[in-house]
Amino acid sequence: MNGDGAARITLRAAIGSFIFHGESTPALSCVEIEAAPGRLTAVLGGSGSGKSTLGRLLAAWLAGGRDGVLRGTLHLDAGGDPEDGSLVFSGTDDDPRIDPAAWADHVGYVPQDALAMLSGVRGTVEEELAFGLENRGAERAEMVRIVAETARRTGLTGLLERDPATLSGGELRRLAVGCAIIDDPGVLILDEPLASLDAAGARTVMELISDLLDRGVAVVVLSQQVDQLTRLASHWLVLKDGGVMAAGRPGQLLGGDLLAGSGVVVGGAQGPRPVPATSAPTAAAPALELDGVSFGFESSGPRSSRLLQNVDFSVVPGEVVAVTGPNGAGKSTLLRLFNGLLRPLDGEVRVGGVGIAGVPTGIVAERLGLLFQHPHDQLFERTAQREVLFGLDRLFGVDAPMKAAAALASVGLDGAEDVHPHELPGSGQRLLALATVLAREPAVLALDEPTVALDAHGFERLTAAVSAAAGRGAAVVIVTHDLAFAQAHAHRTMELKDGVLVGC
Amino acid sequence: MTPRFHPLTLLAAAAAVLAITTAASSWPVSLMVAAGAVALAAATGSARRVLLAGGAILAPFWLSLLVIHGLFYPEGRTVLLGFGPARVTAEGIGFALDMGLRTSAFVLVTMLFSFSVRVPELVAALNSRRLPPQFGYVLASTLMLAPIIAARLQKVRQAQESRGLVVEKGLRSRLNAIRLQMVPLVLGLVHDAGTRAQALDARGFRRPGPRSSYREVSDSMGQRGFRFCALLLAAAAVVLRIMASYPGGQS
Repeated sequence: MNGDGAARITLRAAIGSFIFHGESTPALSCVEIEAAPGRLTAVLGGSGSGKSTLGRLLAAWLAGGRDGVLRGTLHLDAGGDPEDGSLVFSGTDDDPRIDPAAWADHVGYVPQDALAMLSGVRGTVEEELAFGLENRGAERAEMVRIVAETARRTGLTGLLERDPATLSGGELRRLAVGCAIIDDPGVLILDEPLASLDAAGARTVMELISDLLDRGVAVVVLSQQVDQLTRLASHWLVLKDGGVMAAGRPGQLLGGDLLAGSGVVVGGAQGPRPVPATSAPTAAAPALELDGVSFGFESSGPRSSRLLQNVDFSVVPGEVVAVTGPNGAGKSTLLRLFNGLLRPLDGEVRVGGVGIAGVPTGIVAERLGLLFQHPHDQLFERTAQREVLFGLDRLFGVDAPMKAAAALASVGLDGAEDVHPHELPGSGQRLLALATVLAREPAVLALDEPTVALDAHGFERLTAAVSAAAGRGAAVVIVTHDLAFAQAHAHRTMELKDGVLVGC
Repeated sequence: MTPRFHPLTLLAAAAAVLAITTAASSWPVSLMVAAGAVALAAATGSARRVLLAGGAILAPFWLSLLVIHGLFYPEGRTVLLGFGPARVTAEGIGFALDMGLRTSAFVLVTMLFSFSVRVPELVAALNSRRLPPQFGYVLASTLMLAPIIAARLQKVRQAQESRGLVVEKGLRSRLNAIRLQMVPLVLGLVHDAGTRAQALDARGFRRPGPRSSYREVSDSMGQRGFRFCALLLAAAAVVLRIMASYPGGQS
């Protein structure tokens, strides 16, 4: 961004082993990777395979000594002496210490949780983008130019004056990418860069990556999905249980059964589209209805500026409805209106035929379960078991522990009862959040982006849970950008765009 | 809409008012300043937030003042009421009122300042004066702590309400909700701080050397003059107070 292209840098890593402090088994062992200029490398693997750990080690967000015991080498080659820039770690106190800022000059990183990238003390998107430039003392005129250019490339131009706290999940991800590329690193590592992005957002990021590759940037993508982006990679590294399961060209690895059992979701494949497992339910009294609902965060604004305008919507027991739409369209807001976390400015929300105006969310929750977009917003307890048990005693009394155990088992987390929710991998956190909803056996399930961060095993658990819930007569509303998932599992798909909800 | 003041103008005004109020050490002045802060908050549309935040800090403080000094003021001579060893004295009540009003003025002015100033602008203004960036960040984090805690608390509350928590109006229900929310709140904040520290490191926050500022903060001769006068007045008030406290002076 500062010049015509980033410095051509190669990052090589040979991780003998990396063991987190307090753990006995290595999170990574015998992993070698090379990120070369102008080349896209994809690191694939299921949940808990070690992808994110590898990405954070490469980016120096995890450090040998401080965070765990690292044995191996990291090598940054900027075209000089091949021995220059080699860092050898032997797991002792004498190991080199990496300056994260100096490393980030060459190796940019965008974590899976985009929010974790932000400084938290900047009031607007443009100020947040400029944070790294300010810290290096860039001239103001230069900063303005670079911020504008980065915003253009990440599709953030119209959002520069917005408070980062008000961005949608997809917008936040593009901001995090912008913060990482603004310093023009020669290597860029992206953890699940397409998660939560709508089609336009995904296209923007894909174009951006393509442009970076043309400029000679080495790009590493960490993903649990074979998607449109990872298919473009010249090299795949497939991880499982912290080790290399397979490596090679995509065509080579996709051809055989090498990915089976890796937990990697193979999406975007051409072939017949699956159909919902159950047929659409026959007419019945709606489990959830929205009648002329309008909503805006500023009640005093003109009606035309409202996020949702005169929305009519209903879903009957046993029906699965998918809601799609661009980032920032108000999909998550719509779900929060279902259980009263937000209240409509006009219109009425009815659950089970009863209006919820004036009814506390905690009471509505007896009939409607909400899965939040970010598991971090849903999980607050100290162990997975406590998490699922919260509030169950009011519903099931002495049967609560049994219901909690069943819900954990249904998402494959039996055995993880005593694990802290934040210590679970991304897929595990999403599934635990889902278990907290399933355990309550609500008449309506409202799921916000349930497929994000799920690996193949997680997908299976989710689809089984949705089918089972619909099978017992629950109405299910799924907000998603995963159109393939929507078409495969929903009886109806609706699109929320420009404040209006319409059938597709 | 309030006129856009330079953040250091607001800071100088708040600091001067606080210094003068403390130096004056007089309950009518404290009362006037506290009332003025509330009136200004009302005029700028932040009265509700100022009163809520100020009330949360001041209510327990006032209570403890009245209990400690109202009932057990050692120098109290004029007994108004007696309960065994505890005596309500006029001097004790007077001292509690004086301290309470002075603290109220202090808290309300500080709250008004923190809700009026635009924190990123304040940090930019401090950075441009070559103060260490860590100082600006800590100040910004402190001033933004209340909104950050409020946002995290809201997330925890929404998650709990979505799983059946009903907070009723009674004190018992509210206390129970607080009990359920405190541990997740603290753990969540600690977790957020841990991940944020890594991002700050990677984005060069601890980098030595000069910084620049993206945000331009508009200033004017008038505001510079105001800041100079405000600080001069504050210094004069402190000097007068010290002189008055010397033997021979009036306290």
